Amino acid sequence: MRKLWMTFLKDAKLSFNSFYFYMEIGMALIFVAVLLFVVPENFESSQKFYIAMELETADTETFQQLMGNSEDVTVLDNRSEIVNAMKKDRSSVGAIIRKNDDKIVYEMILQGYENESMKNLIKAGIEGEILTQIPGFSSQITVRTLEMDSEKLSDRINIIPIYLTMNVGLMGLFIIAAYIFLDKEEGVIKAYAVAPVAVWQYLASKMMIMLMMGLITSFITVLAIVGFSVNYLYLFGLIVAFNTFGSALGLFLSSFFNTMVKAMGVLYVFIMIMMLPVISYLMPSFNPMWIKWFPSYPMMFSMRELLFENGDQSYIMMQIGIYLVLGLLLFVAANHRFKKTLTV
Amino acid sequence: MIKVNGLYHSYSNDENYAVKNVEFEISKGEVFGFLGPSGAGKSTTQGVLTGLLPLQKGEVEVVGYNIRHPKREMFNKIGVSFEQSNVYGKLTALENLEFYRKLFDVETMNSMDLLKWVGLDHVANKKAGEFSKGMKHRLTFIRSMLNNPELWFLDEPTTGLDPAIASQIKDIVKEKNKQGATVFLTTHNMYVADELCHRVAFIIDGEIKLIDSPRNLKLQHGEKFVVVEHLENDVIKKEQLSLIIDRDKARLNEIISTGKIEIMHTKEATLEEIFIKVTGRGLK
Repeated sequence: MRKLWMTFLKDAKLSFNSFYFYMEIGMALIFVAVLLFVVPENFESSQKFYIAMELETADTETFQQLMGNSEDVTVLDNRSEIVNAMKKDRSSVGAIIRKNDDKIVYEMILQGYENESMKNLIKAGIEGEILTQIPGFSSQITVRTLEMDSEKLSDRINIIPIYLTMNVGLMGLFIIAAYIFLDKEEGVIKAYAVAPVAVWQYLASKMMIMLMMGLITSFITVLAIVGFSVNYLYLFGLIVAFNTFGSALGLFLSSFFNTMVKAMGVLYVFIMIMMLPVISYLMPSFNPMWIKWFPSYPMMFSMRELLFENGDQSYIMMQIGIYLVLGLLLFVAANHRFKKTLTV
Repeated sequence: MIKVNGLYHSYSNDENYAVKNVEFEISKGEVFGFLGPSGAGKSTTQGVLTGLLPLQKGEVEVVGYNIRHPKREMFNKIGVSFEQSNVYGKLTALENLEFYRKLFDVETMNSMDLLKWVGLDHVANKKAGEFSKGMKHRLTFIRSMLNNPELWFLDEPTTGLDPAIASQIKDIVKEKNKQGATVFLTTHNMYVADELCHRVAFIIDGEIKLIDSPRNLKLQHGEKFVVVEHLENDVIKKEQLSLIIDRDKARLNEIISTGKIEIMHTKEATLEEIFIKVTGRGLK
């Protein structure tokens, strides 16, 4: 353990003497600053709806009362006003309501990029609002809330799990490979290999550096954005588990290559694929079973559980356990491979 | 100290061997030179002996350890100086030595003393990345001495150094050898080999062609000549005369009897000349 500690101290000194350490801390601070001062607490997600009514005065007033209550609905005079307004706001939609043979009909005016499901959503919205005004109409729809105590993170805090997963779980994969190849290129790995130390000590020291960086940047970010409402013991556990997994995976993958250039393509593809679960995270309607198998999926969702006031602790503990075991298995595999390939 | 039997190594894991059927033994206290041109298989052999390259075929024993199943503790007895300087550029010279010193389980030398030995003590706290090539080379060299190695691998220890520093390095090697260190010297510099080695091996195309002491090689393969510079009619004349051919011997006697000799010395064959004669190839 003394030799591992000496190697770690040397690697830490090398990190402090290089730009990378300060760049990573700097990036964490920039991320915090952007979240605090640029990103709003919650994003504006409503869609502007322009509407014109070619109806008799009484009907128009009724609909104006009905639709005008919403901040997102603007009543305009005619079709050309709607088109002009929609050109200025490319996310908006419009409709003209008129009477045809005593029937109320409407014409939807869309931007052109809306898909079928969105068209149906807008259509249902209009029809629903209109139907409710027909005397004697009663809705048959029953609203049932599946989870009465469901929590929702603010949009600002909701971004943190993505950052933590990228920073701790995925970037480590790339950076640790870079560290190994840099040592190979400078030849220092050969000098280390002819000293009475084991390969695992060399690899573990690199992982400890990654862990140190991960802990510093993660704690800075969570502390600055979320404050003290987080269980930092669990955060520590998650960072240790995901960092161990990410850097051990990086070591294992890089053991198949002898230069950074050769390894870069595979590492890049790996990281890009691992980023796919971000889609599910931001767009819950896209949540196929296969995407849950990507390691970054549970990473992000367990980080989110951590940020909830009443997060699922058993889920967090389970992920810590799973990724610590996976990380250690990958480390053993990487060590086995590097014993043969580190100096070749 | 070293026993090598039937060593083969291929980088492509096929029959295209970088070293073929290499066999030799090195005794304790010996300075053994591995002499050959670039690409001859010197570094490959040293790579296998130091565990940097895997042992594919053959038997190798180094300081009593079987290289097929090397133990990390054997590196407490070994020192390796590399041809290419490989120090941490972002650490100072002293930090570089101190880091490696603490990795050994045996008594180590004082880092500052080592730096003084090669004239780097005044830059002990300067980052190695700011060093000249020669300074880095000296730092790499003394790093290999930290554990007072019983077996010392030196790969081109004087290449690229100015003559004064090269001489200093050679003196250190001689001194450590006097103290009992066994040296495995890899070089293409025949003068260094001639000066330091008790025995040399000529390796070319991955095969050892010959192993013997420089003296025996010169006696066996060299021709005995005398070079004489003498005055004849007030003009300096230079002649190379064989000590075997009768006519030349008679001419030498004639020159000696005139008493006008200015310079006279025997001229043995150099290791390079013998190498060319034995292998048909140069050392470059």
